[in-house]
Amino acid sequence: MNNVHDMGGMQGYGPIEIDDPSVVFHEKWERKAFALSVAINTAGLWNIDGSRAVRESLPPLQYLSNSYYQIWLDALQKQLISTGMVTQQELSTGKAQGPGLPGVKALGVEQLPAALMRGWPSARATDHGARFQIGQQVRTIEAHPKTHTRLPAYCRDKVGVITNVHGMHVFPDKSAIGPDDPQWLYTVEFTGCEIWGADTSASSISLNCWEPYLKAVELANDTN
Amino acid sequence: MVVLQNTPTVHNVVVCTLCSCYPWPVLGLPPVWYKSAPYRSRVVIDPRSVLAEFGCELAPDVQIKVWDSNSELRYLVLPMQPEGTEGWSEDELAALVTRDAMIGTNVVPPPVTADGVKHE
Repeated sequence: MNNVHDMGGMQGYGPIEIDDPSVVFHEKWERKAFALSVAINTAGLWNIDGSRAVRESLPPLQYLSNSYYQIWLDALQKQLISTGMVTQQELSTGKAQGPGLPGVKALGVEQLPAALMRGWPSARATDHGARFQIGQQVRTIEAHPKTHTRLPAYCRDKVGVITNVHGMHVFPDKSAIGPDDPQWLYTVEFTGCEIWGADTSASSISLNCWEPYLKAVELANDTN
Repeated sequence: MVVLQNTPTVHNVVVCTLCSCYPWPVLGLPPVWYKSAPYRSRVVIDPRSVLAEFGCELAPDVQIKVWDSNSELRYLVLPMQPEGTEGWSEDELAALVTRDAMIGTNVVPPPVTADGVKHE
């Protein structure tokens, strides 16, 4: 989805505000919002890609004016309501109006640290060969799905070189809306010039691309 | 986890332009600036100006490679070992390295000696 979360290359956001490295949570509620988000994610009603999709679809002004944990909290509330875990009335009053969804259980406090350390492994068994190999030139697709994607706007329809092949991984574009649909995952290196022309101080930008993001480059096209 | 080694001619820096992907198990939770619009938008097009805001001025001939952390594979930058630390133990080096150097927004500065003079 094209929205303001996809901000690579935007130029109006000003200087970086470097926060105190010794402070993890700048407000008390942020600690709770983080814990809530991580814990409820383990209930299994949605996956990491689904969560990202909801955060990205927040209205642009809301996304840009929120602190990061507020983005998480706003998205979490949308997910709680859309899955029926919580009603709007319960959110408004802060009081449960009835029992929780049957069969839904999140991890407890004791189990969460280990779950956090594991993260969300995305590797899947390989069931067919990779289409591309290291050193091969590829072009990213030009695509504007209204649903979740991990192909940033700045990197569409650009030519790069495969520098790593990572096996098959959950394909976020599909996993956000349905089954995992694992795909081969590659690291593709683009020159700064290919992406930005002369207006860059980056010598290269590397991006991970699932196979559906990539097309083979016909060598004959590169002689002009 | 992919480790990106800095060399005298190549400096690596990591960003997640789309959200906030970061190696939690190794570096903990990301700082606010890492998740902020100014960093996510600019480091991918003008990393040199971003590093300068962190007080890091790289020589003009050092190439800056940007890694957009858009999948579940996480990156960690292996900073250059500062001069004056040859033969130091792992513990001594660990006390010197910084989070920002492992994201790539800075280098590890040379150690300051007891009399306050930097090794050069």
